[in-house]
Amino acid sequence: MNFSGWVLLVLSWSGIIALASFCFYKIFSKKVVK
Amino acid sequence: MRQLKAKRESWGSRLGIIMAVAGSAVGLGNFLRFPVQAAGNGGGAFMIPYFVALLVLGIPLVWIEWALGRYGGGFEHGTAPGIFHSLLQKNRFVKYFGVIGIFGPFVIYIYYTFIESWTLGYSFYSFKGVLTQLHDQALIQSFLRGYQGLEQNAFFSSIVPAYIFFLIAFFLNIVVIYYGIRGGIEVLCKIALPVLFLFGIILAVRVLTLGAPDPAKPDWNLANGLGFLWNPDFGALKSAKVWLAAAGQIFFTLSVGIGVILTYASYLSRGDDVALSGLTAVSMNEFAEVILGGCIVIPAAFVFFGPVDVQAIAKQGAFDLGFVTMPLILGKIPMASVLSFLWFTLLFLAGVTSSVSLAQPAVAFLEDEFDISRKKAVGIFAIVSFVLCQPAIFFLSRGVVNELDFWGGTFCLVLFGTVEAILFAWVFGMDKAWEEIHHGADIAVPRVYKFVIRYITPVFLLVILGFWFYQEGLPTIMLKGVSEADKPFVFWTRLGLIVLFAVLAVLVKVAWRRRDKRREKELV
Repeated sequence: MNFSGWVLLVLSWSGIIALASFCFYKIFSKKVVK
Repeated sequence: MRQLKAKRESWGSRLGIIMAVAGSAVGLGNFLRFPVQAAGNGGGAFMIPYFVALLVLGIPLVWIEWALGRYGGGFEHGTAPGIFHSLLQKNRFVKYFGVIGIFGPFVIYIYYTFIESWTLGYSFYSFKGVLTQLHDQALIQSFLRGYQGLEQNAFFSSIVPAYIFFLIAFFLNIVVIYYGIRGGIEVLCKIALPVLFLFGIILAVRVLTLGAPDPAKPDWNLANGLGFLWNPDFGALKSAKVWLAAAGQIFFTLSVGIGVILTYASYLSRGDDVALSGLTAVSMNEFAEVILGGCIVIPAAFVFFGPVDVQAIAKQGAFDLGFVTMPLILGKIPMASVLSFLWFTLLFLAGVTSSVSLAQPAVAFLEDEFDISRKKAVGIFAIVSFVLCQPAIFFLSRGVVNELDFWGGTFCLVLFGTVEAILFAWVFGMDKAWEEIHHGADIAVPRVYKFVIRYITPVFLLVILGFWFYQEGLPTIMLKGVSEADKPFVFWTRLGLIVLFAVLAVLVKVAWRRRDKRREKELV
């Protein structure tokens, strides 16, 4: 795989993992007010 | 005196609906269609239009559908006719646009359940070790054709085994829907989705650790396999076809434009968040597609078949990739039966979590608009869909499934997505739409999306619809490429679909007439 391929792979994977982590962090860190 | 209408169902937890929407989105296409599209449309360069389409088409449509669904649910409508009517109550015709949102998923369900049952059958034959003993592509092709009932051969003398697996898959779907949103769909997705991800990760790790299995061919290694999918051909970005393919992939992978998200979101409460939940479901789908789907089939095919053959394999299409190439590849790896079992069970779980979502709009329509109990609605759905599944099973080779897929799984999706985007941003009004997305939201949607949802998404959709209609729609409508022998089958399928659409439109009319009469009686 060439350098551009690695760059695109790393950017895509890290972007998706970052988005998923952000979403689940926001969901599970939500304080429940009763 | 009229009995009080039973309270609509609701989701048991926030994670439940996220899992259910993600389960609906993660389907066979994530693992089979995506790698084929990426490999054939510029490799890594494909990811640029893919992510652009995700940002300006996919995510906005997801928010639109979640917000519309929750809004309609507030008026006790779980399907598009009622939801569209609640947006514009003075208009008598807007509800008929919503017929597409019941027709589309129902038509997809008719053929999808049969295809889903193949994955169940194949996981059984993998478990028995039958599949991984076939070390020749011609043999596996023959196995598939025998299984599908397309020919009698040494493996299968009839379609009976495939039909038994179809009955099991169909029955399982009906049982899940019968137990409802919380007791059926939510429970299924909360179990199936983590298992699916676990199996996907196991398979991805196995492929990523393959190295170069043939010492005589050191170039046939994993890095080059990933390179086949990811090395960018930036020249492809100049091609409109590549941008359309990327937009199409985003459309199909997120389950937008079907009507399923509308129905699922209608079971939310008014104060529930849609912005973060929708985005979370998107992130799960993208993880399954780009990360898992992108590093299983094509890289594995590359290391075993090399750069020349993998191009031919990628062109064979998604089904051959999943049902022929993958068993062949897994047959070359130690613990072949276990890995093959994991692969087909993963596909089955992806299939079943999607098919139950396809069934739900029709069931919700009967429940909400005709005040029919869930059990009765599921019974009616089971009988009608079972009868309509039969042509897809017995006339598979006659182009029936292709025809159903064209109308239900392609045309209706793009059309319905366009209708939704225009209704939400322009008819309902962007200010109200923006407020609706943010009502109860746990994240603030960037303001730029107000512009995107109002202008870019509808224009993008109209462009896709126009291009797609010209490129694929017209030739398919004119039966281009259909053999003379298959034409009667395709014709009768098309006629059947017109009748089905008309019946649904009449049912909408009847439901509203009953509602109006009831209202008049209550006033008297």
